[in-house]
Amino acid sequence: MEGMIVATQVPKNLQNANYYNGNSWRYFSKSKIVLLNPNRVNKPVKVLTNNFYAACTPQISFDGKSMLFTAQKSKNDLWQIWEMNLENLKAHQITTSSKNCIDPTYLPENRFVFSEIDSDSISKKGIPLFTGNLDGTNISQITYNPTINFASTVLKDGRILTISSEIYPKEKEAMFMVLRPDGTKEELFYKGAKGSVIKSRGFETTKGKVVFIESSSNKKTGDIMSIKYNRPLHSSVNLTQEIKGDFYTVSQLKGDTLLVSYRESKSNAYALYEFNSKTKKLGKLIYKNDTLNLLDAILIKKHNRPRNLPSEVNLKSKTGLIVCQNINFLDSPDKISKAVKIEILGMDASLGKVTVEKDGSFYLKVPANTPFQIQTIDNKEQVVNGPSSWLYLRPSERRGCIGCHENREQVPENRQPLSVRRAPILLPEQIKEVNKKRMH
Amino acid sequence: MKATKLLVIIGTLLVLGLIIYFPGRKLAREHVNYETAVQNHPLSCISCHYYTQRTGFISKLINEDYLSPFNLTVSKDGRRLFVIAQDANELLVVDADKKNVLHKIKVGIHPHSVILSENGKIAYVSNQWSDNVSVIDLASSKVVDSLKTGNGPAGLALSADGNFLYAVNAFGSNLSVINLKTKEEINRFSTGNNPTGIALSKVSKELYVTSRRQNPVAYGEPLVSDFTVVNDSTQKLKKYISMNNAYLMENVAFTPSGDLALTALTRPKNLVPAIQVERGWMMNDGIGIIEQKPNGKVVQLLIDEPNSYYSSLFDVVISPNGKKAFLSSSGVDYISVVNLDSIRNIIANTSPQMLKRLANNLGTSSRFVTKRIKTGAVPKGLALSPNGKLLYVAEMLDDKIGVINTETLEKIYTIDLGGPKRITIARKGRRLFNNAAHTFQNQYACYTCHPDNHEDGLEYNFASMGRNIVNVISLREIADTPPYKWSGKNQSVYKQDGMRFSKFLTRTESFNYEDLDALVAYIKTGIKLPPNLMYNKDGKLTESQLRGKEIFNRSVDNLGKVIPKKSRCVTCHPSPYYTNLKLEDVGTLSKTDDSILFDTPNLNNIYASAPYLHDGRAKTLEEIWTVYGGDDNHGRVNDLSKIELNDLVNYLKSLRGSNYEKSSLKTQHASF
Repeated sequence: MEGMIVATQVPKNLQNANYYNGNSWRYFSKSKIVLLNPNRVNKPVKVLTNNFYAACTPQISFDGKSMLFTAQKSKNDLWQIWEMNLENLKAHQITTSSKNCIDPTYLPENRFVFSEIDSDSISKKGIPLFTGNLDGTNISQITYNPTINFASTVLKDGRILTISSEIYPKEKEAMFMVLRPDGTKEELFYKGAKGSVIKSRGFETTKGKVVFIESSSNKKTGDIMSIKYNRPLHSSVNLTQEIKGDFYTVSQLKGDTLLVSYRESKSNAYALYEFNSKTKKLGKLIYKNDTLNLLDAILIKKHNRPRNLPSEVNLKSKTGLIVCQNINFLDSPDKISKAVKIEILGMDASLGKVTVEKDGSFYLKVPANTPFQIQTIDNKEQVVNGPSSWLYLRPSERRGCIGCHENREQVPENRQPLSVRRAPILLPEQIKEVNKKRMH
Repeated sequence: MKATKLLVIIGTLLVLGLIIYFPGRKLAREHVNYETAVQNHPLSCISCHYYTQRTGFISKLINEDYLSPFNLTVSKDGRRLFVIAQDANELLVVDADKKNVLHKIKVGIHPHSVILSENGKIAYVSNQWSDNVSVIDLASSKVVDSLKTGNGPAGLALSADGNFLYAVNAFGSNLSVINLKTKEEINRFSTGNNPTGIALSKVSKELYVTSRRQNPVAYGEPLVSDFTVVNDSTQKLKKYISMNNAYLMENVAFTPSGDLALTALTRPKNLVPAIQVERGWMMNDGIGIIEQKPNGKVVQLLIDEPNSYYSSLFDVVISPNGKKAFLSSSGVDYISVVNLDSIRNIIANTSPQMLKRLANNLGTSSRFVTKRIKTGAVPKGLALSPNGKLLYVAEMLDDKIGVINTETLEKIYTIDLGGPKRITIARKGRRLFNNAAHTFQNQYACYTCHPDNHEDGLEYNFASMGRNIVNVISLREIADTPPYKWSGKNQSVYKQDGMRFSKFLTRTESFNYEDLDALVAYIKTGIKLPPNLMYNKDGKLTESQLRGKEIFNRSVDNLGKVIPKKSRCVTCHPSPYYTNLKLEDVGTLSKTDDSILFDTPNLNNIYASAPYLHDGRAKTLEEIWTVYGGDDNHGRVNDLSKIELNDLVNYLKSLRGSNYEKSSLKTQHASF
């Protein structure tokens, strides 16, 4: 199978993609996974998932011998994660959840990550990420903030890259977040311009780039965007600005050649093309069918396994620790913040206020797996900054930040925060003011 | 009958074999599990008992004598390269056109740097472990003289008139000025801590000397390393320039116009709790820029990028037109190419407050780093051809010189120096030790905190935030001085560098067992202890050291009272490593420490390991007792006079490696 392509095939008339619950974006009714040869233009495709009512979003294992995908066995089944042996084309079900499980991708050490949709609680809990063993055991939730997480991929450094958007109290624009497979150290990786929409899974190329599809606020069709792994927040390039039409998904074929789903206009179906990321030109047509879209195409190929990151999570612990160097450290030295306290906001109520140290630092112990926001407050009890994005800490996670709304490319000053010279302040147990009984 | 007997014998042997095999295998499994602290390390005897042999036939069999090119220079006509082969104790003369080694000239021990006389006829080589400079006549390729220096000569420079040689004494932290006519050292300046690099500005006639270790301060105080500025014309110390929050400034270079001095440096985050690696939380790499004008700015900029770090910066050279600088990152095997006009522009058009911020900004490098060029293993010294068109790179652990075209910025070929082709297990381990790929996003290598296989003189907060501050421990004599960590929790180097090391320190995938075997093999066999030429050159102790030795070994105090055994120095610090390999309480537990005992440190070459005690609170050996040991918990000292305490300290400073003490002891001569 090495060198062949698998893709999701769906009828031409797609429903509008639902970025809230993923319908017709991350999973498609009556979809099929097909196999095709990139060197045999427009030859008939082979359906790999005839035994399924619907199957989509294939991902290839690191050894190139297996494929993870999302599928409904029968019409009214929930979407679950399946794996297919690409040598004998036999598939086995991995998840048996009472909820829809979609968007799987491989992790090192025979593990995988996916999104689990609980339609009843999306508005408050979002769509969390889960990880588990490929034999279906040890499935556990790894994200705990009210965000919708879709279309995860794994970077070579071992972290999960996911399209994430806050959902509570109101829906915000999606961005790429990155986190370790144990859910720790979640941070922003990429955020588009205002009004832009990330439309596809990110794909890390062997050229040090992450490519994906994004639409801008004034152009609703999808463009191929490229960002550098080494500087994702400030390196985005629109590779298809000069090309009329609409791109749906992108992955790497070889070197500078990308594999894209593209249609010239809304009246066409998405077809598979090569795309040269260097010349920014659409290349050879690989497959086109006037009545069927070909999406999420990916090359079957052995590829390097990402790093297998160690986990700092200790499930016996009920808390995590967070330290901040200086809440008044902002993105510019010209901006002045005179906050003296922080308030920790839970989903339903304030967890309390804490006076920070003279150097602006704080050190908290908070319940693990529990979303919270932070806002800074001045000595007149007025909010200075915030609330922040939703944060959460995994059990025993230790996390640091250098300021509030600081430049994301800033590293910490080599200075011991005064706050760590004392024991962490416990929240929400002691929520009113600085704990006077702190250790040493 | 005979056949029956034979069957009985075979059967008996089989039964005996099985009886031995199964319990033996079980015992071996338990032994390997204990040593490695994991349950599934391959049950292989050779990992520990073969690869870690330091002497004898097996050692010779499994090791090779590598060259390890460290620094180099180019002749004025560009036709010859002069390469320091550090592990071979040689200067290699290389034909740059024919790409072959012409001569191998034996120099002193552990040579560091080479420079040429103005007329190109003489080469000077600093011998760091011989405390001298070899003077080599290049016409005859012979060492014709030896110039005495201070302790640990490293970087070299000639005065503008060519009459004086400056030798940076790395271990003595001073600068020797040698009159080349009289061949005498005529002056010695104090420098920053552990200096190595030196450069002369042809414009200002000033010499800048780097330092690698910070000035001694208590944990929590700002970290500062000093540049030393000496006036070449007057041969007077001019000033010290502080480089804040930086250390490991290996080398320095001036632009031809003399407007900037550049140094490679590391910006550690040792005061920040080590709770993550993401977002540059542990270690950054950058350049220090000193404007050469009145009230010139001292600026630092990171060459790292978000998500990608360029660890272990070593050398810096500047193109003849002053437009480009090249920096070697020996932790990631890259040369970074820096546009100096962009640097000038940043300095000129950025407010002082913003410049301060940029010292901690990972994105700024995109404004001045124009290319990253891959090199061979562990690029160290750099040299440009006289016309600036070729950049030569000492690829230390490949035994090669990489050659880069400075216009196309591509590596165009390598010059093989003729080292062994076989990469031994220990050599592989040495590459791993120096390479940052085993840390998340390449942020630091083992070498970063253990430069020269020693320690970096810093304390870190690895465990609970704000608690259990630890002083980095030297790796010298590590093979013979278990257990490891100050807490002594790790019984073997295997455990020390295993799973938990990856979980809490490197925070990326742990070493696979093959790599771990190699790393352990190198750490246990390849780390050499330098001679103690500063305090004990030949084993003859001074009178003060001899008095100190008596105090060290005494069992009765000055009042005639028997000193309890546990309060005698020699009880916990017996030779040859001056450690009893046990955990002890010497009354140094602080209120921010967990209640534990501390591993007794080994003391050979202890003079070079300041600061002292588990959390580095003692800036000098004296302070161990004068400031922190008043309760006699750390040996009986309260009866000692000031002179006697000085004697004791002088003796401690004289301690040196057992291989230097016992001529009968076979030492590992193979290099890795």
